[in-house]
Amino acid sequence: MDDLSAVVFDTAERLLGALHHGAGRWEDMTSAGQGRGWATIEEAGLPLALTAEEHGGLGLPLADGLELVQIAGRSPVPWPVVETMLANRFAAEDGRTLHEGPVTALGLLTADQRAFAALARAKQMAGALDAILSMTVAHVQERSQFGRPLAGFQAVQHQLAVLGGEVAAGRAAADHAIARIAEGATGDAATLPIGVARVRVGEAASRAAAIAHQLHGAIGYTREHRLHRYTTALWAWRDQFGTQTYWSRAVGRLVLARDAGDLWPMVTAA
Amino acid sequence: MSVLAFPAPVSRPQDEALRSEVRAFLSQALAGRTSLEKAESWNGFDRDFSRALGAKGWLGMTWPRAYGGHERTAFERYVVVEETLAAGAPVAAHWIADRQSGPTLLRYGSEAQKRAILPRIAAGECTFCIGMSEPDAGSDLAATRTRAERQADGSWRVNGTKLWTTYAHEADFMILFCRTSGTPADRHRGTSQLLVDMRATPGLTVRPIADLMGQHHFNEVHFEDAVIPADALLGTEGAGWAQVMGELAFERSGPERFLSSIQLLIELIAALRGSESDAAQAAVGRLFAHLVTLRHMSRGVAALLERGEDAAVHAAIVKDLGASFEQDLPDIARSLVDAEPDLASTDAFAAVLAYTTMAAPAFSLRGGTREILRGIIARQLGLR
Repeated sequence: MDDLSAVVFDTAERLLGALHHGAGRWEDMTSAGQGRGWATIEEAGLPLALTAEEHGGLGLPLADGLELVQIAGRSPVPWPVVETMLANRFAAEDGRTLHEGPVTALGLLTADQRAFAALARAKQMAGALDAILSMTVAHVQERSQFGRPLAGFQAVQHQLAVLGGEVAAGRAAADHAIARIAEGATGDAATLPIGVARVRVGEAASRAAAIAHQLHGAIGYTREHRLHRYTTALWAWRDQFGTQTYWSRAVGRLVLARDAGDLWPMVTAA
Repeated sequence: MSVLAFPAPVSRPQDEALRSEVRAFLSQALAGRTSLEKAESWNGFDRDFSRALGAKGWLGMTWPRAYGGHERTAFERYVVVEETLAAGAPVAAHWIADRQSGPTLLRYGSEAQKRAILPRIAAGECTFCIGMSEPDAGSDLAATRTRAERQADGSWRVNGTKLWTTYAHEADFMILFCRTSGTPADRHRGTSQLLVDMRATPGLTVRPIADLMGQHHFNEVHFEDAVIPADALLGTEGAGWAQVMGELAFERSGPERFLSSIQLLIELIAALRGSESDAAQAAVGRLFAHLVTLRHMSRGVAALLERGEDAAVHAAIVKDLGASFEQDLPDIARSLVDAEPDLASTDAFAAVLAYTTMAAPAFSLRGGTREILRGIIARQLGLR
């Protein structure tokens, strides 16, 4: 991580954290409030975080740019921060002008761009998973039932351990793919680790959301509790830029195209 | 929650050069083995193979040269371990010693113990068994009742029973976890480790326990007024608990925690190869994703160990996820391929499916039950 990245991470954590907590009910937000929020996101340079310096972007190294996406995943806000980062990166790649304002739909993408967007979503999901784990741990420590904190029940502890394992695995899968892409993998050599990341983090999202809701009890199922922002985002993200099924079949096809004896060499090369 | 971040593994050219060398050796050494024999890798006991591995310099790899080691990195050792397991090599004659007993001796052994035993382990000529579990203790190791009493001449008189002792009937040595003072109510206080010579200890008997396949890997080991010499104490008297916890970290950290079923995955892919079925492609893609992710995490544990950091919780996470992956495999495989599982079948898939189905229940028991691991993870998350 270079110095610029550290500053950007710090700014993003504070800014997105404040916007996340201050946004109240997203649907109640006025257009003026919408505008002010986006202006602060733009001032921090976040929409240009994945764009190269020569195209007017922040020029963060790839892994740092995607670390920022994970930070965005920790604090979902009612503005398309990550989508705009991606749109500007792709516009610069295609020689188009950068976008003014927020971008909600990415339009037609090349296969490589779609794979990169899928990878970014994986990292964003890792951030949301991390936040779900933190809030669930906090909840079971604060909430008491039958005269003791939920955290004291072994059944609860074990569910949390499963949640922790899923969060760790989803994040590891995303980081593994990023390392491969940063090394310059393209074509099938990129499809495989990105597919692995999306399949694994997607599965982690499904399991984590289920456990988090169970451990939060009914309060987590209400609109007023912010757990819904994470879980509904994860449910949507796991099927965007290629569904869970699409990516698992893409990986499976590549594996099944090779001799069974090649499995282990494929694993070590993936 | 930084405990949940696994460091990126470091891939160096020397590791990959070693990998090619190991693969070439294994493809020759294992050429005559059937798929079923490869599936039995964990339980395959072959002293000749272990000696051949030792002769290549691939045991005791990270230990000092003074003790027969090769002063190589944790990553180089990792490469050898994962390649041997992925290839289905018979590892039972060396790997308890290489993986945990040797490192424990290196850390706590006396100079004489280290000089006498470590070079033999590194040569693939010395087999260890683990003296931890007991009949009434199960996962509760602190409830251990086997007792060693100091005699007037300094030797130890040992009484008690150890259980589930894999390959005790073949082992040269056991590291015995026992109580040297107090009672089981004292929990971890007053416990010690003794180095037991399995071949020359009067009062020691080994009785077989058949597993559900009818195979003999487990044993009961009885100590009845067994006499163990004074110099058999390993480390510090009374510090057994701390020592044994360190030993378990070695046992939980490696690629063996997600490669036990890999032969079945290989046979599954062979059976499905060329399939256009959505279900087959999606299932294989999912399994591959789990395998690659587990390997990344496990190599992250190796990175932590190489940096000398505590990896106990990371290892617990890998072992818990790995055991679930390994145990899911037989059912997924049988849902995708219409073949009757049969150990005696000439069809490799049917035979390996039968074997792995019957072996799988042990995957979340050995080396720490799933519940114990989840307790460790929960504690790290601040819940206990």
